[in-house]
Amino acid sequence: MKSLQIRMMVNGETKDWSIAPGDLLLDVLRREGYFGVKRGCETGECGACTVLVNGRAVNSCLMFAAQAQGCEILTIEGVARGDALDPIQEAFLDHGAVQCGFCTPGMILNAKALLDQNPNPNEEEVRELLAGNFCRCTGYKKPVEAVLAAAQASRQKPWKSAPGARARTR
Amino acid sequence: MFDHIQAFYQPNSIREAVRLLRRGGRQARIVAGGTDLVVEGNRSIRFLVDVTRLGLDYIRQDRKGLVVGATATMASLVHSPKIRALADGILATAASTCGSVQVRNMATVGGNLASASPAADTATPLLVLDAMVVLAGPRGRSKVLLEKFFTGPRKTLLNGALLVEIAIPALSRGLRTGWSYQKLGRIETDIAVVNVAAGLCLDRAGRCAWARIALGAVGPTPMRAHKAEALLAGQMLTQESVDRVGDTVMQQVRPIDDLRASAEYRREMSRVLVRRALAECAARAGCSL
Repeated sequence: MKSLQIRMMVNGETKDWSIAPGDLLLDVLRREGYFGVKRGCETGECGACTVLVNGRAVNSCLMFAAQAQGCEILTIEGVARGDALDPIQEAFLDHGAVQCGFCTPGMILNAKALLDQNPNPNEEEVRELLAGNFCRCTGYKKPVEAVLAAAQASRQKPWKSAPGARARTR
Repeated sequence: MFDHIQAFYQPNSIREAVRLLRRGGRQARIVAGGTDLVVEGNRSIRFLVDVTRLGLDYIRQDRKGLVVGATATMASLVHSPKIRALADGILATAASTCGSVQVRNMATVGGNLASASPAADTATPLLVLDAMVVLAGPRGRSKVLLEKFFTGPRKTLLNGALLVEIAIPALSRGLRTGWSYQKLGRIETDIAVVNVAAGLCLDRAGRCAWARIALGAVGPTPMRAHKAEALLAGQMLTQESVDRVGDTVMQQVRPIDDLRASAEYRREMSRVLVRRALAECAARAGCSL
């Protein structure tokens, strides 16, 4: 088995990593210390491993790391700018949408991808979105409220993102 | 889990991809979105051939109809104005129910067909649209009707070839048609218990010129219900004729029991969904039952 050299941009930083051909993106990110990317079901159902690849939410447990060659990856570690939280993170705190926190990074990243494309989603769209993120503590009411509140806050005060965490155009 | 993979190839041409597949034989598999392949976790695979860098993610119109590249994602089908405008949007609707947002951003239409699940969400709309699939193998390209492509549960005609694109023939202009996609699952984005796609074409007198009905998850492959379709051709559309079609469909399907539903329930739901689909087709074609 030959190892592969891949280069990708993770949270705005260029990374050159050596990977095995069968490594999944989830394995590589956690190996490199991005523990906000959670290992959940490993079958693409729970959404805990969600990251953004070129601005689109994917389950990193289903993507081979080799396919991320040349891509821009955003994990939860790259969402805040220093101590300044993203409006979605603020809203999750304000609405008590976090209990154990295991599903939270995936929810926030999935919501971020949605709001970057559709700054004005309705409740049904947010609920449909969060169908890809399982919460086994508290449910979905507060996360849904948080995403809607974040959308409203962002419309009132456009968020200037950190480099590498900016809204990406397709 | 995938420590048995010895090489991950990322060819830049279809020809190279076909050559790599041939060289790898039974130990080689195509990977695109990975949403089926990774979950399957087959440990006999040694070589992966990534087809997402072949430029096959297009959706374009040509003289004969629409052509959809095999690696177009479910999300791109959902958002494509061409796909949304086609046949009352049944293919876009089907794609929008194919798993979560994250899965739809990864899963491809070619993968959905090549995996050949009897419940494949995009198979039934493509069957009623009379779609053809274009395959590339060591001996060149071939084009087959999608209906012939499926040969059994998770079995197709592929045999080491690569699914390149899907051709959807244009409908003649000026036809009065209505289309519908119906899916029954525990929630909408689950794997279907039963799914149905249907299309109706009415003539000037309001008679049914033709009907097309396809069902998923009720037999070894996604299937067309030709016998039931024939009952409607040349007939006025009435509640009785639609009921008769539902009864015929029920006799034609060959469902199994599994963890999602019993065969009996699937048979009954085939009838219900076909009746609903035909009623929606009729309404969309501007005719009430």
